[in-house]
Amino acid sequence: MKLNRIRAIAWKEALQIRRDLRSIIIVVAMPIILMLAFGYGVSFDIKHLPVYVFDRENSQQSRDLVQRFRSSEYFRVNRSVDNYRDLIHGVDSGDCQLGIVIPTNFSQKLREGGPVSVQAIVDGTDGNSANVGMNYAEAVVLAYSQQVQLDWLRQKGQRTMDPPIVIAARTWFNEDLESLANIVPGVVAIVMAVVGTFLTSLTIAREWERGTMEQLIFTPVTPLELMIGKLSPYLVIGLADTALCAAMGVWWFGVPFRGSVAVLFVSSTLFLMVVLSLGYLLSVALQSQLAASQASMIATFLPAFLLSGFIFPIDQMPALIQLVTHIIPARYFMSIIRSVFLKGTPIALLWEDMLALLIFATALVLVATRAFKKRLR
Amino acid sequence: MWLRLREMLKKEFIQVFRDKRTRFLLFGPPIIQMVIFGYAATLDIQHVPVAIVDYENSQVSRDFISRFEGSRYFDVRVRTLDREVVRTLIDRGDVVMALQINAGFSELLRKGQTAPVQVIVDASNSNTALVSLGYVNQVASRFAQDYQTEMLNRTAPGLLPQMPQIVLDRQPWFNPDLRSQWFFVPGVMGNLVTLVIVILTAFAVVREREIGTLEQIMVTPIRQAEFILGKTIPFFLIGLLDASLITAVGTFWFHVPMRGSMLVLVCGTVLYLLCVLGIGLLISTLSENQQQAMVSAFFFLMPAIIFSGFASPISSMPVALQWLTLVDPLRYFIVILRGVFLKGVGFDVLLPQMESLALFAVLILTASVLRFRKSLD
Amino acid sequence: MADEYSVVVQDLVKLFGDFAAVDSVSFQARTGEIFGFLGPNGAGKSTTIRMLCGLLHPTSGTASVVGIDVAKQPERVRQNIGYMSQKFSLYNDLTVEENIRFFGGMYQVSDSQIAERLRWAVRMAGLEGREHALTATLAVGWKQRLALGCAVLHKPKVLFLDEPTSGVDPISRRQFWELIHEMAATGVTVFVTTHYMDEAEYCNRLVLIYHGKIVASGSPTELKRTAMKGELLLIECAPLGPALEALEKSKVATDVAVFGNALHVVVPNAVEAVPLLRSELEQNAISVTRMEQIPASLEDVFVSLTAHEPAPAVPR
Repeated sequence: MKLNRIRAIAWKEALQIRRDLRSIIIVVAMPIILMLAFGYGVSFDIKHLPVYVFDRENSQQSRDLVQRFRSSEYFRVNRSVDNYRDLIHGVDSGDCQLGIVIPTNFSQKLREGGPVSVQAIVDGTDGNSANVGMNYAEAVVLAYSQQVQLDWLRQKGQRTMDPPIVIAARTWFNEDLESLANIVPGVVAIVMAVVGTFLTSLTIAREWERGTMEQLIFTPVTPLELMIGKLSPYLVIGLADTALCAAMGVWWFGVPFRGSVAVLFVSSTLFLMVVLSLGYLLSVALQSQLAASQASMIATFLPAFLLSGFIFPIDQMPALIQLVTHIIPARYFMSIIRSVFLKGTPIALLWEDMLALLIFATALVLVATRAFKKRLR
Repeated sequence: MWLRLREMLKKEFIQVFRDKRTRFLLFGPPIIQMVIFGYAATLDIQHVPVAIVDYENSQVSRDFISRFEGSRYFDVRVRTLDREVVRTLIDRGDVVMALQINAGFSELLRKGQTAPVQVIVDASNSNTALVSLGYVNQVASRFAQDYQTEMLNRTAPGLLPQMPQIVLDRQPWFNPDLRSQWFFVPGVMGNLVTLVIVILTAFAVVREREIGTLEQIMVTPIRQAEFILGKTIPFFLIGLLDASLITAVGTFWFHVPMRGSMLVLVCGTVLYLLCVLGIGLLISTLSENQQQAMVSAFFFLMPAIIFSGFASPISSMPVALQWLTLVDPLRYFIVILRGVFLKGVGFDVLLPQMESLALFAVLILTASVLRFRKSLD
Repeated sequence: MADEYSVVVQDLVKLFGDFAAVDSVSFQARTGEIFGFLGPNGAGKSTTIRMLCGLLHPTSGTASVVGIDVAKQPERVRQNIGYMSQKFSLYNDLTVEENIRFFGGMYQVSDSQIAERLRWAVRMAGLEGREHALTATLAVGWKQRLALGCAVLHKPKVLFLDEPTSGVDPISRRQFWELIHEMAATGVTVFVTTHYMDEAEYCNRLVLIYHGKIVASGSPTELKRTAMKGELLLIECAPLGPALEALEKSKVATDVAVFGNALHVVVPNAVEAVPLLRSELEQNAISVTRMEQIPASLEDVFVSLTAHEPAPAVPR
């Protein structure tokens, strides 16, 4: 392998990239836009759920209960309605996600004793939000119920009691329980996957389409040298983008960075190798820009988004799909990058994921080179 | 006029269906994404791995813990008294949560004082942490309620029937089992239609510009309107076909219910298709070659999809962003899709969305037609 | 009057910013003649033809095709012309027949007539039996003829060809020009741009364009006779490089150019110049094997005309 041939190819590639305004936009603007879009757009902090209240009794006690809903930051009581039809319309149209119905005999039943039901009508379309919302509602109701009970017990001359159980929760790694801390490191992975394959598939496939690739073939350069030479500028760009995204994550979004930069660097390089080789392979196989860019979207972005654990936890997926995620390189990188940002895990504990990435990278480089040779014939 | 239009339509269809790659593009990605999203996309949290640290090991504490063992939400993996073990387990991701009961638990309860339970939760996945904590609170609250009832039964059984209690009556509408699939599948349908149509339409025009046939056509007597119709009608039909295909897979394979009327669905789909066709055309007027078209399409599509509310609720986004989503046609389409599939609502509820889509369609199509001139300058 | 001239251009100008791609050009093409627009790449040929087809808007000046003003009624113009673009612009993923039917539809050839036009085009292009072949599989020469056929399905009165023989082998080029001649014989005005000087000989009349301006016009014979500023000598000698330098400094030779492995030299009077030049060269230790007067070709005319033409003030 001749280093100066590789260097010549890399230099030409870098010049072309620099002069191609579109490539520069992709390289700089896309990561920023994706970071901002995902960082702000994807949030699972279920708060300010729009609520309608249908207080059929409107007594001191029912208003007390409603007040607890009002003062909770998880809910936003938008309207008080006085009939079912308005409530139903609210849920149907999406104006409210939760409807609280307090029955007409609320305080009477409380005086008499025995359980009284407060209805929580939830728009179940968004199952997750509905689940979380109902849990919050139940917590509010149970807390109120407990308070009522304790007051009643005291009234009846029983000794005073404190609420029996309290949960003292300590959240690790993400003290504010913000989904931002979860999402933002993951976006770095998504950005690298997208920019890496997208860029290579467009520029390299374009060379095939235009025929300039054939010029290179007739020089003494070997397929492996060609690949390394062509991809190295993109590797550098990819690492720069990683740094950009990591910096944005820390300084713009305020996500903590507890691990080591070296680990980030090494794992990013490995992942970029995977992603770039994949883009290269697709360009060689498909040779058309349209097909290559589409295929790269499907091969990198989708798996990175869906199957890497970015939004949907892998351990909750059906067993078969969990098996499939083992061949998704993004899965390993996602795990590493979250550990690096939030947990500060030492590299010793990350070796399995790193090894997986290394295997993928090597395999793809070999496959891509072989595909290139076959295409020549 | 009809002659020219007919010939243009014939040509477009031949071109789309003759190329193996575009043929695959029409149906492959939609089906693949549907299947993956349908199975992998789930935010349901169950079998959360938990470690138990029980320093007291009394009847009461064991009773408390057994409630976690019996719940499908939790999977008690480890019992240990060594906090270091717990720390390692969480670091490695083997457990998400650890519950610790200190000595003196039952004593505090007997004296009527508050007994704390310590919970450590790995919040790097905030949604899992949030939901899991919600479950813990639920279990604890019910345990507290039962304990209080039990106490009262022993000390003053006569009072028991008079003890007030408020319970929450959960009424999830539209999606009783709160299945994630039912939430995502309509959203995925919206995404796929968007992706396929925008890209195909944009590329159809840009490719002609690149290979030079656009110039050749412009010199013929074809009118601008005929050309645009000729380019958009085939993709409109393909869009309808794709939408039908995805609906079929959603309803028959994933058993997503279809409670509304087909008429509403078709009307919404037609209006939305007009919007995305317009966007594809607009992109094509802004791009000189395929690479530019791809990049422009990507810059539009990414935010449009993320902000549409298909994965994470719009109400969770920052307020400023929520206002921004009002200019995203996909947002309205997803509301319509979910409304028709899950809520079974009709025009009375969805009219505002339909109107917005119609407005968008008119604006976008007008803009792209105006930009589309039959000359090179 | 309108019948005699199919294409009339008066003071046509096209500016791109400050740059004058077409700088006040005037000419007329007679009905039924083959009118050539000759010049090097970037001279303004394609810009002119695009204006005539209504693809570009003239900055100033007038142009009319078959009596229709190009700037005011471009759509009407397009119904009466055929156009073949530089890149041939056929759909590679359509078959021969599909391409013909498509363009036939574009030009409103009715269903009743299309069958006959299809047969004609296929026969003219020599593609009988290959109607269902994908256009991508055709060699360049066939594509060229197919593109020509597609441009005239509606029997237009004027045909615009923009560099129709770029990248085509000489034999196919010759066959193509025979087709052009057949068409012109039926009364079609053929307006051709080319940078191949030898093809210019096939035209009835020519216009030479350079840096957006017309530097000469007339029939090929006229141009060779009158536009040449002097007489032409062919000199074969060695070594060529030093000979070129010596002659460039010579007072006798007004112009020198390399043609193949010989030199073409322009002199005011050939008979007088021969002995003078011979001695000049021998003084410079250059041996001359051949020196004789030759008739000027269009290429010589063009080189001679443009050598004295100043470049435009605004750089490209």
